[in-house]
Amino acid sequence: MNAVTDLASVVMDLPRRDAQDKLTGRTRYTIDNIGADMLHAVQVRSDVASARILEIDCSKALAMKGVRAIVTHADAPGLHGIGVADHPLFASDLIRYHGEPIAAIAADTLEIAHAAARAVLVRTELLPAVLTMAEALDEHAPLIHPDWQRYELLKEGAPRAGNVAWEAHVTRGDTDAAFARPDVTVVDDCFRVGRQSHVPFEPRCAIASYEDGRFHIQCSTQVPWTVRNVTAKVLGAAASRVRVTVPAVGGGFGLKFDCTIEPVAALLARKTGKTVSLCNSREEEFLSCLCRENAEVRIRSAVTPDGEIVGREATVLMDCGAYGGEQIFLSTMTAHTLGGNYRLGAVKLNSRAVYTNTPPNGAFRACNGVYNTFFLERHTDNICAAIGMDPMEFRKQNVLGDGDIGATGQVFQGDVLRPMLERMEAISAGAERRDPADGRLYGRATTVGTWFVFVGPSAATINLNADGSATLVTSGVEIGSGTMVQSLPQIVAGILGIHPADVIVKTADTDASGRDLGVGGGRTTVSIGSASKMAAEKIREQILEIASEMLQTPPSGLALRGGRVEIAGRPGSGMTIAAVVQRAEELFGPMSGTGNFTAPGVPSLPGCAAGHFIDAIDIPIFTVHDCEVAVDPDTGHVDVLSYRVVQDVGVAINPRAIRSQIQGGVTQGLGYALHENITIDEHGSMEQSGFEHYLLPLAQDVLPVEIVLHEGAPSIGPLGAKGAGEIPILNVGATIACAVARATGRPVAELPLTPPRVLEMIQGHAKALDFAHISPVWHANLARR
Amino acid sequence: MTIELTINGEVRTVTADPRTALLDVLRDSCRLTGAKAVCREGFCGACTVLVDGEAVPSCLRPIGMLDGRSIVTIEGLAHFETPNPVQQAFIDHDVVQCGMCFPGMVMTLTAFLETNPAPSRGEVKAALSGNICRCTGYERIVDAVLSIQDMRKVSGR
Ligand code: FES
Ligand code: FES
Repeated sequence: MNAVTDLASVVMDLPRRDAQDKLTGRTRYTIDNIGADMLHAVQVRSDVASARILEIDCSKALAMKGVRAIVTHADAPGLHGIGVADHPLFASDLIRYHGEPIAAIAADTLEIAHAAARAVLVRTELLPAVLTMAEALDEHAPLIHPDWQRYELLKEGAPRAGNVAWEAHVTRGDTDAAFARPDVTVVDDCFRVGRQSHVPFEPRCAIASYEDGRFHIQCSTQVPWTVRNVTAKVLGAAASRVRVTVPAVGGGFGLKFDCTIEPVAALLARKTGKTVSLCNSREEEFLSCLCRENAEVRIRSAVTPDGEIVGREATVLMDCGAYGGEQIFLSTMTAHTLGGNYRLGAVKLNSRAVYTNTPPNGAFRACNGVYNTFFLERHTDNICAAIGMDPMEFRKQNVLGDGDIGATGQVFQGDVLRPMLERMEAISAGAERRDPADGRLYGRATTVGTWFVFVGPSAATINLNADGSATLVTSGVEIGSGTMVQSLPQIVAGILGIHPADVIVKTADTDASGRDLGVGGGRTTVSIGSASKMAAEKIREQILEIASEMLQTPPSGLALRGGRVEIAGRPGSGMTIAAVVQRAEELFGPMSGTGNFTAPGVPSLPGCAAGHFIDAIDIPIFTVHDCEVAVDPDTGHVDVLSYRVVQDVGVAINPRAIRSQIQGGVTQGLGYALHENITIDEHGSMEQSGFEHYLLPLAQDVLPVEIVLHEGAPSIGPLGAKGAGEIPILNVGATIACAVARATGRPVAELPLTPPRVLEMIQGHAKALDFAHISPVWHANLARR
Repeated sequence: MTIELTINGEVRTVTADPRTALLDVLRDSCRLTGAKAVCREGFCGACTVLVDGEAVPSCLRPIGMLDGRSIVTIEGLAHFETPNPVQQAFIDHDVVQCGMCFPGMVMTLTAFLETNPAPSRGEVKAALSGNICRCTGYERIVDAVLSIQDMRKVSGR
């Protein structure tokens, strides 16, 4: 029955229902709901990177008129974290980074709160600060977390030691034997990247109240359930006592995938009994940004003369900053990003999350993947140069295809990357070469990338309303990507035979919707989409069953279309869905359906991965990027002449929206590749605190990306869809770097490619990277307790 | 200090420190939250409003200098059910993402098209040099602007 949902009823360029209000200034983001009728909070932050707190004296601040409450570590002693609970809400005895919150103040106005913050006296004893991963790994380095062994472990099994917060390993096969083969060329490289700041236009902000013994937090987040759980954990409250609601979010890009300021607002709301708003100023938003982490790698490969990679060893260092956070989870991803793309013989990977006395890092669109893809693709080009093989031929020969095994031994299905490369080759061959031939150095490169959908638990409920419309209740949040206003209603409407406009989509309210991992990792369309699909299919069955009786036709002879149940092949026959609902109410009551979804789990080879949160990737996504650049040999300025993307999308549910995501993601990647860079000064503070020094791509910096959506690759996503919003940024850094390396003939080893860095390279003044703190002996880099 | 100015056609009296940014008066006192406070330094353009017809960043305009001036914010540009051609083009081309930059984009481009009703692609991009968008990558915004046929409707507001 119900030869369900013909794809054609789901796939469309549905426009956004939120566009009109967003364009007319009527949309209220959390930040727009902050008003005079509530208290205003600020955080007191440390101005040193490492110190012992001797005393916090709030008495003067508390005595100020209009100050309503001050909270410190004593009010929220709990620790939270990912993998390891190492992170307090406020510094307790130790300050571990410049800008770390020490106290928070709620006052009648923001001005009073700021004045009171200046009146809080914090007496400290300075301690030496460890500002780089090289320093942190020194055997004499001070411990950033002297109590690291006493922390609660939220996940077992990873090596940890001192300033190494977490390690994830892959060991498959005998790399020693591979590197000892007489016929191989060994290529050895070091690469490095800096931090990238998300700069969502709406900063992190929260409005909290305490009602009927429960916290209510309205906030700008991607993860309502994480906010609920972390708030409960640090405040020592039952999670059921926290309600989180989320209006439209003004950009996230992964920054809002962690809970940060929300519990502070909640704490102050309980202490004052009043509604409290807390919103980062732009400067705070920069200085406390959970950036894409700076990272370093040493990678070496053993390659045969005909281009087979028989051995690969790599050690990646990821800077967590002062607390483990996302980097602990992301250490897992190295196996699938740096260890991805290509068939490997023996492989050993070590991904180390390292503590430093710097602001904590976090998750940023295709987190971990962006720099590991840069490392991998530049290394691949170096391999090609060393063995004298054409980079395109090398890639076509080595990319993972049907039945090949990945780094952790998972078996990949379908030939996806190779046909995508061939498509890109055909497009590029047909396009005009854009060499300006004006004295600038011209280069072109094609790279491949492997990413995944971060699946995991989602829940959905659909209520079918008396008028034939449907209300979809999930924990989804509209962060700008459009999934809540496009793919989700399209999926539900297609299954129920109604128009997407008749699917009401409720935004996250943890009191109304089931648990969810959050909006990010390209998972909304897939995880929430699958749960929604299941819920819709249950309702569809009920509709068909009732209609079958009413129409005296077996369900297999019925079709749902245009808000009606029709006898198949007889348009206009049958009845409206509203009539079926009415009948259902007479029989048993209103109709509703629930659905759920979680990661199905893909097998990997037992025993080859340690410290991993996932051993295999459920839904791989692939992409091929190509660009042409012109490099000015006098200024080092890189001009991007063309940019092309062939992206694996499974099935494109809303092709126009996917193209928008690709244009936007590539642009963020161009910023990362060419000029976006957060640096840390000698005091441990970020040097870029605003738009003047942190340069975002402007309209005149970008170009139209030529896009091909590659359909048909296997996916367990709803109707074969994959997440499309994360991956567009994945190999922009890699592609630009490879093109600039080819243009200049220099081995690009660092991003971003700012004019001074490129000039230094062209003039031959750039020193080759060779990290003293990453041993060329792979085993020597493993954590020892 | 008391300042009298016209906001979206309505005469209003504002009592504030003359150094207060127009943006804060709009958002906090008038509760017109369409103009967004993003950088507060004149770089991003999300706070753009029209002052006597000229698109300016309201974060950099102290209220003390605006006595007697006429301000139009995104809320006063067009009724939301009858968007102006710039807004309509953005709806039709599905260019909006998080939306935070768009009120400012609309103000800048509406004023721009009044003086240059048939711009080239490069001119549109140049006009956007003071309006940053973190989400969209701009090109579709430019496509939408170039699709606008009836400029008179923009100036006829
Ligand atoms: S907030 Fe005024 S220009 Fe950015
Ligand atoms: S749409 Fe998000 S900043 Fe422009």
